[in-house]
Amino acid sequence: MKTHSHDHDHQNQDDKKNARPAIQRDRTYWKSFEDLNDTPEFNEALQTEFMSSPIREEAAKEGDNDKWARREFIKLMGASMALTTAAGCIRRPVQKTVPYVKQPEEVVLGVSNWYTSSYFDGQEGFGLLVKSREGRPVHIEGNTKHPLNKGAVSSRAQASLLGLYDPERLQGPKRNLLNEKRTNKETVSVSWEDLDKKVVEELKKGSSYILSGNIASPATAAVIADFGKAFGTQHVTWEPLANDDVAEGQKASYGDANVPAYRFDKAKTIVSIDADFLGTWLSPVQFTSQFAEGRKNPEKMTRLYSFDSTYSLTGANADMRFKIKPSQQLTVVMGLINEVMAKQGGSESAKSVAAKYKNAAETLKISPETFKKVAEDLLKNAGESLVVAGGIATKTEDSLNLQIAVNFLNSILGNEGKTVLAKKGNNRLTASYEALSDLIKKMNAGSVKTLIIYRSNPLYALSKDLGFAEALTKVPTVVYVGDKMDETSQFCHFIATDNHALETWGDSEFAEGVYGIHQPLIRTMYDTRSFQLSLMTWAYMANVGPKRLITYETFYDYLRAFWKEEMAAKLAKGQNFEDFWNNLLQNGVVGEMASSASARTFKADAFASIKSKVSDSAYELALYPTIQLGDGTLANVAWLQELPDPVTKIVWDNYACLSIKTAEALKLKEGDIVEVKAGDKKITIPAHIQPGLHDGVVAVAIGYGRKHAGKVGNGIGIDAFPLSTVKNGQTLFSGLAVEIKKTGKHYDLVTTQGHDSMEGRQIVVQQTNKDYEGNKSANIHRHHTWSLWSGHQYNGHKWGMAIDLNTCTGCSACMTACQSENNIHVVGKKYVMQGREMHWIRIDRYYTGDVENAEAVFQPVMCQHCDNAPCETVCPVAATVHSSEGLNEMVYNRCVGTRYCSNNCPYKVRRFNWFNYAKLIEKPMHMALNPEVSVRTRGVMEKCTFCVQRIKEGKNKAKTEGRALKDGDVKVACQTACPTNAIAFGDLNDENSQVAKVFKSEPRAYGLLEEWYAKPSVRYMAKIRNNDKETKQAHGHAENHDSKEAPKNESHAAEGGHS
Amino acid sequence: MSQPMKRNELVLGNKTLKDITDDICAPVERFPSKGWMALFVSAKTLFLFYILTIAMVVSTGIGLLGVNHPVAWGTMIITFVFWVGIGHAGTLISAILFLFRQKWRTSVARSAEAMTVFAVATAGIFPLIHTGRPWLDFWLFPYPNQRGPLWVNFRSPLLWDVFAISTYATVSTVFWFVGLIPDFATLKDRAKNKIRRTVYGALSLGWRGTAKNWSHYEMVYLILAGLSTPLVLSVHTIVSFDFAVSNLPGWHTTIFPPYFVAGAIFSGFAMVITLMSLIRIGWPTFKDYITIDHMEVMNKIIMMTGLMVGYAYGSEFLIAWYSGNIYEQYVFFVSRAFGPYAWSYWIMICCNVVIPQLFWFKKFRRSIPVMFVVSIFVNIGMWFERFVITVTSLHRDFLPSNWGQYAWSMYDTAILVGSFGMFFTIFLLYLRVFPAISIAEMKPVMNVGKDEEGGH
Repeated sequence: MKTHSHDHDHQNQDDKKNARPAIQRDRTYWKSFEDLNDTPEFNEALQTEFMSSPIREEAAKEGDNDKWARREFIKLMGASMALTTAAGCIRRPVQKTVPYVKQPEEVVLGVSNWYTSSYFDGQEGFGLLVKSREGRPVHIEGNTKHPLNKGAVSSRAQASLLGLYDPERLQGPKRNLLNEKRTNKETVSVSWEDLDKKVVEELKKGSSYILSGNIASPATAAVIADFGKAFGTQHVTWEPLANDDVAEGQKASYGDANVPAYRFDKAKTIVSIDADFLGTWLSPVQFTSQFAEGRKNPEKMTRLYSFDSTYSLTGANADMRFKIKPSQQLTVVMGLINEVMAKQGGSESAKSVAAKYKNAAETLKISPETFKKVAEDLLKNAGESLVVAGGIATKTEDSLNLQIAVNFLNSILGNEGKTVLAKKGNNRLTASYEALSDLIKKMNAGSVKTLIIYRSNPLYALSKDLGFAEALTKVPTVVYVGDKMDETSQFCHFIATDNHALETWGDSEFAEGVYGIHQPLIRTMYDTRSFQLSLMTWAYMANVGPKRLITYETFYDYLRAFWKEEMAAKLAKGQNFEDFWNNLLQNGVVGEMASSASARTFKADAFASIKSKVSDSAYELALYPTIQLGDGTLANVAWLQELPDPVTKIVWDNYACLSIKTAEALKLKEGDIVEVKAGDKKITIPAHIQPGLHDGVVAVAIGYGRKHAGKVGNGIGIDAFPLSTVKNGQTLFSGLAVEIKKTGKHYDLVTTQGHDSMEGRQIVVQQTNKDYEGNKSANIHRHHTWSLWSGHQYNGHKWGMAIDLNTCTGCSACMTACQSENNIHVVGKKYVMQGREMHWIRIDRYYTGDVENAEAVFQPVMCQHCDNAPCETVCPVAATVHSSEGLNEMVYNRCVGTRYCSNNCPYKVRRFNWFNYAKLIEKPMHMALNPEVSVRTRGVMEKCTFCVQRIKEGKNKAKTEGRALKDGDVKVACQTACPTNAIAFGDLNDENSQVAKVFKSEPRAYGLLEEWYAKPSVRYMAKIRNNDKETKQAHGHAENHDSKEAPKNESHAAEGGHS
Repeated sequence: MSQPMKRNELVLGNKTLKDITDDICAPVERFPSKGWMALFVSAKTLFLFYILTIAMVVSTGIGLLGVNHPVAWGTMIITFVFWVGIGHAGTLISAILFLFRQKWRTSVARSAEAMTVFAVATAGIFPLIHTGRPWLDFWLFPYPNQRGPLWVNFRSPLLWDVFAISTYATVSTVFWFVGLIPDFATLKDRAKNKIRRTVYGALSLGWRGTAKNWSHYEMVYLILAGLSTPLVLSVHTIVSFDFAVSNLPGWHTTIFPPYFVAGAIFSGFAMVITLMSLIRIGWPTFKDYITIDHMEVMNKIIMMTGLMVGYAYGSEFLIAWYSGNIYEQYVFFVSRAFGPYAWSYWIMICCNVVIPQLFWFKKFRRSIPVMFVVSIFVNIGMWFERFVITVTSLHRDFLPSNWGQYAWSMYDTAILVGSFGMFFTIFLLYLRVFPAISIAEMKPVMNVGKDEEGGH
């Protein structure tokens, strides 16, 4: 029966086929021999030639003309429909796009524009290149042409982008209604007209002051000066992290107050006494890049000695780090001076001052030989060495003495004028506590009628001892110029809401003779007005002041005129102004950094008067700023809060760092809350047990505990500024005697790193200079690996990365760069505690050596793009696949989220979207997203892509220019941000590329977990400690220098917090 | 001539054929007891709670559970493997023991097989809901599609798992159902109202009890038993591949397939003991069918498989030491036994290796309270075995910087507890509507062991 019907079908079809009109052909003209010979195959092809279903064509080849095509089609359709109905609930985002109605000339949709600009945080400044897509800034990089940073950039500068899109930024002028006690009753919006009228009325009464941070912009300084001429306004500068100690020290030593330029690139021996120049002191990005210069060639490496009372990034990178407490800072320098003068000679009076410190090594509990060696090294490289001290951790009662002693040491070593260049640094760092104290005195005396506060936050950062809050109530009118309702602005009468830096024109002079431009990236998003224009407007309304102040309608016009009249004269070198101006905008900078200065003579009597005032106490306070938050201004930026501290790896908190012994003595565990009491001031704060810290130090970071920073920053951490104490007119941050008391309460500190020891594994390979001399591959155990499989073939490009652990300082700028470039979400403290941070690149920090003096090593880890990627084989839906260029690609659309790939990744670099994070992006924060990178939805895995969008961009660019891709055409985000150029990226198939050379011939290069044979496309180059020691078994296996004594300091925060 | 071995009777109480039918049909035909109702209501509440939990997890995100970086698999996978393991005893009893002509299997086979089907159903939900985007789970199935066509990755053990579990679920369900056909017919014949007759009639697929029916039935049953037998070994082997094929220290071990199978049988029999003890309490008449002898035999198997599992634990240490692989050595010698999750490891050792040793003593093997408690411990131990494998291997792997802890949340508890709600709801319903012991198979074994009458 069945067979019959089948036959019947056949019959039917044959009938139908026969019923078709046969194609009649004329044999006179033939297309081919088949045609001419009229073969059956040809006839068949002819019959089906114009029946165009691809399925039919495939079937036709098999000789089944009709039958299966239809059935196959229905079968496929049926199966697909049946299974896709299950997918009815797939999230399909509705997105509306609106095109430009009139497209601006310079904007090409989908192509980013880059503008030069600059960044200044009150202390550090450098040039920026800001990426703009369709008119909105989305990513910040360093300006490669700027001599200070040469393309490098800090985490904070990059993260300042989010400030622009902060939903809590003030959107127009405000007025605070203050009651009699001068507390804020209500904030109301006002119009600019009303505000201006009232402010001008007050200004006309005279006795006005401007309080601001350092002003590094010549044009802004000119506006303020002009404004001063208009209303008799005096300008006071103050910064929480003011470097007035350095300036004062210079003044006492040489006669002129200034913050000199330091040349770490020219110094072969560097001694730092609590100056965290790689992390937070003065100009860390510039210094880091200078420092790296001296680390790149392992044959001729500089040596860094660090005397560290906190565990600073500089200490972590030192070849030899000595733990001290703040009261010993002066001892260190005086001890060194004594040793140096013992060898080199010097005036008898100076010798006698220094001789008091001949037992310095004993006091510091450092072996006298080692201490002598430091001095010898300095002497050996006299003129090419550098001694620095500074930062708030040195702001003890001895800070001036310390600076004088350091200057003296540099002078006798002949470094003055060579590595210390007077007046060649940022001469606009004039902020001082003294100036502010004077202002407060005047305010209290009632002689300040109007106070304009420009972005300063003394009510947060100033010691209560100075009584600013009380003094403020005695000022009849306070105008605040800034963009946040912060601790200070809410007690001001008027808020003349300022633009964000990325909305403002400006210029800069961050080093003597190096002038930069500050271009805005976007029109003001709200009804805000720049500080400069506010001043100009007020002067204009009162019709007072120099002509240029009241002539121009915008600050841009003022700026241009200022440059035309004052700057072009000395900088244009005969160029016409238009060309000069356009070049300036394009390059972002003119002028060169000075490489030398004339040496000054040290005023001998300054040294003679050194006498230590600080007495040694059991526990001493050391306050310090962190690399993430600095003085706390950017506390509302989530990227920075979730950026792990480079050393402690703790996020979203500050803490009191205590040594292991101290914690044992006080019976404290990680996260136990302690009361830290300095004199009559106290805070309660969780304790963090820090290996390598001096037993007598309680180190606490400032910049946390903001109360009015915004939703993100409010209440994160504990404010440590209240511990700062005024003594004899000097604000002290360190060296204060403190008492610590256990409160019995506990708090979870959250780290991104679960374990601090390498457990004897070959992860970060560390050599000493001696090891390296003997064997350039010292401590690297190479494994014999082999495979049955020949492996992938890469015929075009093959991308690879090389990371030099010897220059990487762990500064974490790459992490923020990656976060900004790749739209990486911030998850918050609670979820970091659950192990759900999303960073694609992380910096692992391991402690090595004995716990009491633990050394730190850093290692950036991102997806290793393995050739034998373990993740690829286990994904059931083939959502992570290997590209022909060696990239391990993650296909978000295809991912169902089994997370098997993460389990199978030996490096654990994959990150999972546990929730729909993208939904939580509050407007207008979504404008900071990079449109070139998809925003991942819930339930998919993500990881480093080697910035595949930048690879495509580079390839496209080379293609449109009709040339082959060159090394350096593709620069990944982490690479561009890195101040030390530790990261190289490129094509391994291009044998001239930097990475290919490392892979092929660099003896220090090794792959992470090489023996596991995943064949990573990333190579690390061993770190070298230039400490003249020799590692045991340096030439043998890697088992291991650190396993036995490595600190087993489990991070209780991460591990305990989970259970 | 030595005394021939005398076997104990498989059915006690001198039953007639009618007694058997009456006894076994009774729970299905009478109004449910208060005890059953109480159990059912609580199980069902738990089940509803489970559904709600799943709904929340699916709608909010898998992040509600404690899974994280580095422990990307957690409660769901652990409990999945646990339930799949439970399923093994049923198939082993009903198929392998059938092929080996172990007559004693008859009285427990039906319920053990039911337990298998329900356990696999309970387990089968986990791989589907543990993904990040459960609504796209159909991408795990290879079928011609319009996305390229885009195929699955046949190299992935998870995909093998999809096949293994679905095959196992299908075959064991069919096997179980085929065995039920003659009994459905019996229930239909005894039915007093039309609905019962119709429903059981439909379920009995037109069974008439003819010789030809019986002949076909026996043949199908034999073939299905033959088909199921390799599955007993293959399913848990493939589940173990999820771990063994990866390269994570602690997972990447060749002992996993036999170790998992032994563990599965171990836990499966423990669950059978748990359930049979409860059935004996609930329906005292069943004590004549599920005798202490039956229980004792199963306890012997528990003890034996427990020793096998213990041997596997030991051999993992040996191989870790012998391999010279520092990562593997760390996992076994430091992390598991002495790390932050050491408690789970020692719970596992106590429950799986130490406690079953009680069954060396005949007194304990034959004591219902003892075996009930032991079986519960074994089940706890076997859940922890999967916890130890999954979590402790993941929480400390190659780079110490990654190390972390599983972030156990209340949703983990809800998922774990809720899955028992699902299982017991179905199992209790089964006890009410299906004959819990095979009537058709009980009758032929009645005389077994009656020596005088020429039995064995």
